[in-house]
Amino acid sequence: MNAPDRYERFVVPEGTKKVSYERDTKIINAASFTIEREDHTVGNILRMQLHRDDNVLFAGYKLPHPLQYKIIVRIHTASQSSPMQAYNQALNDLDKELDHLKNAFEAEMAKHSRAY
Amino acid sequence: MEGVSYQRFPKIKIREVKDDYMKFELRETDASMANALRRVMIAEVPTIAIDLVEIEVNSSVLNDEFIAHRLGLIPLTSERAMSMRFSRDCDACDGDGQCEFCSVEFHLRAKCLTDQTLDVTSKDLYSSDHTVVPVDFSDSAGYDVPEQRGIIIVKLRRGQELRLRAIARKGIGKDHAKWSPAATVTFMYEPEIHINEDLMETLTSEEKRSWVESSPTKVFEFNHETQQVAVVDAEAYTYDEEVIKKAEAMGKPGLVEIHAKEDSFIFTVETTGAIKASQLVLNAIEVLKQKLDSVRLSEDTVEADDQFGELGAHLRGG
Repeated sequence: MNAPDRYERFVVPEGTKKVSYERDTKIINAASFTIEREDHTVGNILRMQLHRDDNVLFAGYKLPHPLQYKIIVRIHTASQSSPMQAYNQALNDLDKELDHLKNAFEAEMAKHSRAY
Repeated sequence: MEGVSYQRFPKIKIREVKDDYMKFELRETDASMANALRRVMIAEVPTIAIDLVEIEVNSSVLNDEFIAHRLGLIPLTSERAMSMRFSRDCDACDGDGQCEFCSVEFHLRAKCLTDQTLDVTSKDLYSSDHTVVPVDFSDSAGYDVPEQRGIIIVKLRRGQELRLRAIARKGIGKDHAKWSPAATVTFMYEPEIHINEDLMETLTSEEKRSWVESSPTKVFEFNHETQQVAVVDAEAYTYDEEVIKKAEAMGKPGLVEIHAKEDSFIFTVETTGAIKASQLVLNAIEVLKQKLDSVRLSEDTVEADDQFGELGAHLRGG
C-alpha cells in the first residue's frame, strides 16, 4: 500500500544530484560523497580501489538504510592528495581496468570460436 | 601526484562456452570486481519482457492478472535491448511506451473449438518485431516432441477463448526479476590444495581410503596400485573443511592445507536464453562502465569546492 515504487531504486529524482560532495569541517583532506541510487555494486569496488591508493588513509562506504537508495563514500587522504583527487583517480583506474577486461574477454572469445 | 596509476590488468581464461552457458576464470583482480560483475549480470543488464497486457477476451480458467504475470515471465530474445530506450526516458512517445524505440507489440489469439484441450504456448504470441520473439528452446534440448514446444501460458477447453495485446519493454532485473537475463551467475575462489606427503605416508592404506572418503565431493583419489593419495579435482572442493576435521580426528593435523586464492575466481554463467552467456558478460562490463561513469563528479561540484577551498584558506588566515 505505502510501498515505494520499484523505479525509486534506480531513477534519480528530478532536481537531485547524482553525486554530492561534502567536505569534513573538522579534518583536513577528509570528505563524504553521497551517491544517489547506487548500492554495494559501485560502493564496494570504489572502496577497494581507493584502498590501493597509497595516499588514501581511510576509505569506506555505507548504505544507510535499505529503503534510502543511496550510498555514502567517505575518504580521508594524506596531505599531498585530496579526497576528490583520490575519488577521480579510483574511477579512472576502474574504468581502465574494465576496458582491459573487455578486450581480454573479446580476445579469449575469438580464440575460442576459432577452435571449433 | 599525477600520473600514478593503481590500475590492475585482470586475466581471463574461457573454459567452456555454449549459447546459454559459460565457465571462465578471472584472475589478478579482487572479490569486489568479481562480485560487482556478478551483481550487474543478475540485476542490471537490460532485457525485454512483456510489461503491459490489454485483454480483449478471456474466458479461460485463469484470471486476467494471472495470465498477464505469466506472459511477463516468458523470456524474449533481447539482443536489441542494449540499444533500445527505456520507455520512461523515450522522447518519441512521451514515455507511454508505444513506439519502435522503446517497445515491441505482441498479439495472441486462441480459441478451443474441439473436445481436446488446447495448449496456448509462447509459440502463439505474434511479435511485431522479428528480432524480439519468445525464446526457442527446442533445438538446444534433446527432447523435442513436435507438438510440445514453447512455454505453456494457459490450457483451454471447448468454447474457451483468449485474445489479447501485449507491450514488451526494456527493463532491468532490479525493477522486476522478469527482466533478469541470468538464470544463475556464481563465482568461487580457486582452491589451492597441498597434501603433506610425509605425513600422508604415516597412514595405512585403510586410513588413507577413509580419509579420502570423508570428503563429501570427489576432490581426492586413492590409487589402489600405488597406494597413493592424489588431488583429482581441486574445484570440487566446497570449502566444507570435512577433510581437515577428519585429519584432526585421525590425530594428523596438517595432513592437508587448503587455501582460497584471493585473486582468482571461477565464474559460472547461465542465462534464461534472452541473450547469449558470452554477451551477458560483455554487457555486464559495459553496464558497469556506464555506472561508474555516471558517478563522476560534475563540473559545478568541483568549482564549488574550489571556491570553498579559497574561502577556507582565507578563514584560516591564508
